[in-house]
Amino acid sequence: MSLADLILYIVLPAMSLAMLLAFVRLVRGPTLPDRVVALDLIGTLGMGMIAVYAIARDLPVLLDVAIVLALLSFLGTIAFARYLERRVGP
Amino acid sequence: MREVVSGALVLIGALFALVASVGILRMPDLYTRMSATTKVATLGVGSTLLAVAIYFGELGIAARALAAIAFVFLTSPVAAHMIGRASYFIGVPLCRETALDELRGHYDLRTHELESVCFPELELQLPDLQVGRLRIPDRAAVAGMTLAETELRQRHGVTVLAICRGTYTIPNPDGDVRLLPGDELILIGPPERLDETAEALHKNDPTSITGE
Repeated sequence: MSLADLILYIVLPAMSLAMLLAFVRLVRGPTLPDRVVALDLIGTLGMGMIAVYAIARDLPVLLDVAIVLALLSFLGTIAFARYLERRVGP
Repeated sequence: MREVVSGALVLIGALFALVASVGILRMPDLYTRMSATTKVATLGVGSTLLAVAIYFGELGIAARALAAIAFVFLTSPVAAHMIGRASYFIGVPLCRETALDELRGHYDLRTHELESVCFPELELQLPDLQVGRLRIPDRAAVAGMTLAETELRQRHGVTVLAICRGTYTIPNPDGDVRLLPGDELILIGPPERLDETAEALHKNDPTSITGE
Protein backbone atom coordinates (compact mmCIF):
# COMPACT_ATOMS: atom_id res chain seq x y z
CA MET A 1 0.00 0.00 0.00
CA SER A 2 1.51 3.28 -1.03
CA LEU A 3 1.43 6.40 1.11
CA ALA A 4 -1.17 7.98 -1.17
CA ASP A 5 -3.45 4.94 -0.76
CA LEU A 6 -3.00 4.99 3.01
CA ILE A 7 -4.02 8.65 3.08
CA LEU A 8 -6.93 8.34 0.66
CA TYR A 9 -8.44 5.16 2.12
CA ILE A 10 -7.66 5.39 5.84
CA VAL A 11 -6.50 8.81 7.01
CA LEU A 12 -8.92 11.04 5.10
CA PRO A 13 -12.00 8.92 6.02
CA ALA A 14 -10.92 8.93 9.68
CA MET A 15 -10.52 12.71 9.63
CA SER A 16 -13.86 13.08 7.86
CA LEU A 17 -15.47 11.00 10.58
CA ALA A 18 -13.82 13.24 13.18
CA MET A 19 -15.18 16.29 11.38
CA LEU A 20 -18.65 14.73 11.32
CA LEU A 21 -18.55 14.16 15.08
CA ALA A 22 -17.41 17.76 15.62
CA PHE A 23 -20.27 18.85 13.37
CA VAL A 24 -22.74 16.97 15.60
CA ARG A 25 -21.48 19.06 18.53
CA LEU A 26 -21.77 22.20 16.38
CA VAL A 27 -25.43 21.44 15.72
CA ARG A 28 -26.30 20.28 19.23
CA GLY A 29 -24.63 23.15 21.10
CA PRO A 30 -26.10 23.61 23.69
CA THR A 31 -24.38 26.97 24.33
CA LEU A 32 -22.79 29.34 21.86
CA PRO A 33 -19.23 28.74 23.20
CA ASP A 34 -19.75 24.99 22.57
CA ARG A 35 -20.43 25.80 18.93
CA VAL A 36 -17.40 28.08 18.74
CA VAL A 37 -15.16 25.33 20.12
CA ALA A 38 -16.65 22.85 17.64
CA LEU A 39 -16.05 25.31 14.79
CA ASP A 40 -12.47 25.78 15.94
CA LEU A 41 -11.96 22.02 15.93
CA ILE A 42 -13.46 21.77 12.43
CA GLY A 43 -11.01 24.44 11.25
CA THR A 44 -8.08 22.59 12.79
CA LEU A 45 -9.23 19.29 11.26
CA GLY A 46 -9.63 20.99 7.87
CA MET A 47 -6.06 22.17 8.14
CA GLY A 48 -4.91 18.60 8.84
CA MET A 49 -6.95 17.24 5.92
CA ILE A 50 -5.43 19.76 3.51
CA ALA A 51 -1.95 18.86 4.76
CA VAL A 52 -2.44 15.12 4.21
CA TYR A 53 -4.05 15.76 0.82
CA ALA A 54 -0.94 17.72 -0.14
CA ILE A 55 1.09 14.58 0.57
CA ALA A 56 -1.31 12.24 -1.25
CA ARG A 57 -1.44 14.35 -4.42
CA ASP A 58 2.17 15.56 -4.19
CA LEU A 59 1.11 19.19 -4.22
CA PRO A 60 3.20 21.14 -1.69
CA VAL A 61 1.43 24.36 -2.72
CA LEU A 62 -1.57 23.26 -0.66
CA LEU A 63 0.47 23.84 2.49
CA ASP A 64 -0.07 27.59 2.03
CA VAL A 65 -3.80 27.00 1.98
CA ALA A 66 -3.53 25.13 5.28
CA ILE A 67 -1.61 28.04 6.83
CA VAL A 68 -4.21 30.55 5.68
CA LEU A 69 -6.97 28.34 7.06
CA ALA A 70 -5.23 28.18 10.45
CA LEU A 71 -4.92 31.96 10.46
CA LEU A 72 -8.58 32.50 9.64
CA SER A 73 -9.73 29.91 12.17
CA PHE A 74 -7.68 31.57 14.91
CA LEU A 75 -8.96 35.05 14.05
CA GLY A 76 -12.54 33.76 13.96
CA THR A 77 -12.25 32.18 17.38
CA ILE A 78 -10.69 35.31 18.89
CA ALA A 79 -13.40 37.48 17.38
CA PHE A 80 -16.10 35.19 18.76
CA ALA A 81 -14.52 35.26 22.23
CA ARG A 82 -14.35 39.06 22.20
CA TYR A 83 -17.93 39.24 21.05
CA LEU A 84 -19.14 36.85 23.77
CA GLU A 85 -17.32 38.77 26.47
CA ARG A 86 -18.45 42.19 25.27
CA ARG A 87 -22.07 41.09 25.03
CA VAL A 88 -22.38 40.85 28.82
CA GLY A 89 -19.46 43.02 29.82
CA PRO A 90 -19.42 46.62 31.06
CA MET B 1 12.14 5.45 4.47
CA ARG B 2 10.76 8.97 4.38
CA GLU B 3 7.45 7.56 3.22
CA VAL B 4 7.30 5.15 6.17
CA VAL B 5 8.02 7.87 8.73
CA SER B 6 5.53 10.32 7.28
CA GLY B 7 2.96 7.53 6.91
CA ALA B 8 3.28 6.75 10.61
CA LEU B 9 3.01 10.44 11.52
CA VAL B 10 -0.08 10.86 9.34
CA LEU B 11 -1.70 7.86 11.02
CA ILE B 12 -0.94 9.31 14.45
CA GLY B 13 -2.49 12.58 13.31
CA ALA B 14 -5.67 10.82 12.19
CA LEU B 15 -5.87 8.97 15.49
CA PHE B 16 -5.53 12.21 17.46
CA ALA B 17 -8.19 13.83 15.29
CA LEU B 18 -10.60 11.00 16.06
CA VAL B 19 -9.85 11.18 19.79
CA ALA B 20 -10.44 14.95 19.78
CA SER B 21 -13.81 14.60 18.06
CA VAL B 22 -14.92 11.81 20.41
CA GLY B 23 -13.85 14.08 23.27
CA ILE B 24 -15.84 17.05 22.04
CA LEU B 25 -18.89 14.85 21.62
CA ARG B 26 -18.75 12.85 24.84
CA MET B 27 -17.29 15.20 27.48
CA PRO B 28 -19.86 16.55 29.93
CA ASP B 29 -19.29 20.31 29.80
CA LEU B 30 -17.66 23.00 27.69
CA TYR B 31 -14.46 23.23 29.73
CA THR B 32 -13.68 19.51 29.58
CA ARG B 33 -14.55 19.46 25.87
CA MET B 34 -12.06 22.25 25.32
CA SER B 35 -9.42 20.38 27.25
CA ALA B 36 -9.91 17.44 24.87
CA THR B 37 -9.95 19.40 21.61
CA THR B 38 -7.15 21.89 22.18
CA LYS B 39 -4.48 19.45 23.26
CA VAL B 40 -5.39 16.59 20.99
CA ALA B 41 -6.15 18.60 17.86
CA THR B 42 -2.94 20.56 18.27
CA LEU B 43 -0.90 17.39 18.55
CA GLY B 44 -2.76 15.82 15.61
CA VAL B 45 -2.19 18.76 13.30
CA GLY B 46 1.36 19.04 14.56
CA SER B 47 2.17 15.47 13.56
CA THR B 48 0.47 15.77 10.14
CA LEU B 49 2.42 18.93 9.36
CA LEU B 50 5.60 17.22 10.51
CA ALA B 51 4.74 14.42 8.09
CA VAL B 52 4.46 17.01 5.29
CA ALA B 53 7.87 18.45 6.20
CA ILE B 54 9.49 15.00 6.20
CA TYR B 55 7.73 13.72 3.06
CA PHE B 56 8.70 16.60 0.78
CA GLY B 57 12.09 17.05 2.40
CA GLU B 58 12.80 20.39 0.71
CA LEU B 59 14.01 23.28 2.77
CA GLY B 60 11.34 25.75 1.63
CA ILE B 61 8.43 23.39 2.25
CA ALA B 62 9.79 22.06 5.52
CA ALA B 63 10.29 25.62 6.76
CA ARG B 64 6.70 26.48 5.92
CA ALA B 65 5.40 23.33 7.61
CA LEU B 66 7.44 24.03 10.74
CA ALA B 67 6.23 27.65 10.75
CA ALA B 68 2.66 26.37 10.55
CA ILE B 69 3.33 24.02 13.50
CA ALA B 70 4.76 26.92 15.51
CA PHE B 71 1.72 29.04 14.63
CA VAL B 72 -0.75 26.37 15.72
CA PHE B 73 1.14 25.67 18.94
CA LEU B 74 1.14 29.39 19.79
CA THR B 75 -2.41 30.31 18.80
CA SER B 76 -4.38 27.28 19.94
CA PRO B 77 -3.84 27.88 23.70
CA VAL B 78 -4.56 31.60 23.29
CA ALA B 79 -7.84 30.94 21.50
CA ALA B 80 -8.84 28.29 24.04
CA HIS B 81 -8.02 30.61 26.92
CA MET B 82 -10.12 33.43 25.46
CA ILE B 83 -13.09 31.18 24.79
CA GLY B 84 -12.88 29.61 28.25
CA ARG B 85 -12.65 33.02 29.91
CA ALA B 86 -15.58 34.44 27.96
CA SER B 87 -17.67 31.34 28.69
CA TYR B 88 -16.94 31.58 32.40
CA PHE B 89 -18.13 35.20 32.41
CA ILE B 90 -21.35 34.53 30.56
CA GLY B 91 -22.11 31.71 32.97
CA VAL B 92 -21.71 28.57 30.89
CA PRO B 93 -22.43 25.91 33.53
CA LEU B 94 -19.81 23.50 34.82
CA CYS B 95 -20.79 19.86 34.74
CA ARG B 96 -22.90 18.63 37.65
CA GLU B 97 -20.19 16.44 39.12
CA THR B 98 -17.80 19.38 39.55
CA ALA B 99 -16.64 19.38 43.17
CA LEU B 100 -14.48 22.50 43.32
CA ASP B 101 -14.60 25.75 41.37
CA GLU B 102 -11.53 27.62 42.55
CA LEU B 103 -12.24 30.67 40.39
CA ARG B 104 -15.60 31.29 41.97
CA GLY B 105 -15.67 34.53 43.91
CA HIS B 106 -12.28 35.60 42.61
CA TYR B 107 -13.54 37.34 39.50
CA ASP B 108 -15.12 40.75 39.53
CA LEU B 109 -17.94 40.04 37.10
CA ARG B 110 -18.39 43.71 36.18
CA THR B 111 -14.81 44.70 35.43
CA HIS B 112 -13.63 41.15 34.53
CA GLU B 113 -10.63 41.51 36.80
CA LEU B 114 -9.14 38.59 38.67
CA GLU B 115 -8.18 39.08 42.28
CA SER B 116 -7.64 37.08 45.39
CA VAL B 117 -10.59 38.05 47.56
CA CYS B 118 -10.59 34.84 49.56
CA PHE B 119 -9.48 36.05 52.99
CA PRO B 120 -5.97 37.07 51.89
CA GLU B 121 -4.85 38.55 55.19
CA LEU B 122 -5.79 35.37 57.07
CA GLU B 123 -3.62 33.27 54.78
CA LEU B 124 -0.79 35.75 55.19
CA GLN B 125 -0.64 35.10 58.91
CA LEU B 126 -1.25 31.34 58.76
CA PRO B 127 0.84 29.98 55.91
CA ASP B 128 -0.12 26.33 56.58
CA LEU B 129 -3.85 26.99 56.45
CA GLN B 130 -6.02 27.55 53.44
CA VAL B 131 -9.58 28.71 53.09
CA GLY B 132 -11.46 26.96 50.32
CA ARG B 133 -14.89 26.79 48.79
CA LEU B 134 -16.43 23.42 48.12
CA ARG B 135 -19.72 22.84 46.33
CA ILE B 136 -21.75 19.82 47.42
CA PRO B 137 -22.46 17.73 44.29
CA ASP B 138 -26.08 16.84 43.56
CA ARG B 139 -25.73 13.15 44.33
CA ALA B 140 -23.27 13.49 47.18
CA ALA B 141 -23.76 11.17 50.11
CA VAL B 142 -23.54 14.08 52.54
CA ALA B 143 -26.45 15.93 50.94
CA GLY B 144 -29.24 15.79 53.51
CA MET B 145 -26.96 15.05 56.46
CA THR B 146 -26.48 17.51 59.27
CA LEU B 147 -23.09 19.08 59.71
CA ALA B 148 -22.49 16.99 62.86
CA GLU B 149 -23.31 13.76 61.04
CA THR B 150 -20.74 14.42 58.31
CA GLU B 151 -17.97 14.58 60.95
CA LEU B 152 -15.88 16.73 58.63
CA ARG B 153 -13.65 17.95 61.44
CA GLN B 154 -13.08 14.52 63.00
CA ARG B 155 -12.53 12.64 59.73
CA HIS B 156 -10.89 15.22 57.52
CA GLY B 157 -9.53 17.88 59.85
CA VAL B 158 -11.34 20.78 58.21
CA THR B 159 -13.70 23.28 59.84
CA VAL B 160 -16.75 24.79 58.19
CA LEU B 161 -16.66 28.58 58.48
CA ALA B 162 -19.86 29.27 56.59
CA ILE B 163 -22.37 27.73 54.21
CA CYS B 164 -23.39 29.64 51.09
CA ARG B 165 -26.85 28.60 50.00
CA GLY B 166 -28.30 30.38 46.97
CA THR B 167 -28.22 34.06 47.74
CA TYR B 168 -27.67 33.92 51.49
CA THR B 169 -24.93 32.76 53.78
CA ILE B 170 -25.09 30.86 57.06
CA PRO B 171 -22.11 32.07 59.11
CA ASN B 172 -20.62 29.76 61.78
CA PRO B 173 -23.17 27.00 61.18
CA ASP B 174 -24.23 24.77 64.09
CA GLY B 175 -23.88 21.01 64.02
CA ASP B 176 -27.58 20.55 63.34
CA VAL B 177 -27.60 22.56 60.09
CA ARG B 178 -28.60 20.23 57.28
CA LEU B 179 -26.49 20.28 54.10
CA LEU B 180 -28.33 20.51 50.79
CA PRO B 181 -27.07 19.68 47.32
CA GLY B 182 -25.69 22.82 45.71
CA ASP B 183 -24.60 24.34 49.01
CA GLU B 184 -21.13 25.78 49.09
CA LEU B 185 -19.02 25.15 52.13
CA ILE B 186 -16.38 27.68 53.13
CA LEU B 187 -13.78 25.47 54.76
CA ILE B 188 -10.55 26.17 56.59
CA GLY B 189 -7.82 23.59 57.00
CA PRO B 190 -4.44 22.45 55.71
CA PRO B 191 -4.40 22.51 51.87
CA GLU B 192 -3.97 18.74 51.49
CA ARG B 193 -6.88 18.01 53.82
CA LEU B 194 -9.06 20.37 51.78
CA ASP B 195 -8.19 18.41 48.63
CA GLU B 196 -8.94 15.18 50.46
CA THR B 197 -12.34 16.53 51.53
CA ALA B 198 -13.12 17.56 47.96
CA GLU B 199 -12.32 14.07 46.74
CA ALA B 200 -14.40 12.44 49.47
CA LEU B 201 -17.39 14.64 48.64
CA HIS B 202 -16.95 13.88 45.00
CA LYS B 203 -16.96 10.10 45.41
CA ASN B 204 -20.64 10.02 46.43
CA ASP B 205 -19.67 7.22 48.75
CA PRO B 206 -21.15 7.44 52.23
CA THR B 207 -18.27 5.56 53.89
CA SER B 208 -15.57 7.79 52.43
CA ILE B 209 -16.94 10.89 54.04
CA THR B 210 -18.14 9.45 57.33
CA GLY B 211 -15.52 6.71 57.57
CA GLU B 212 -17.99 4.04 58.66
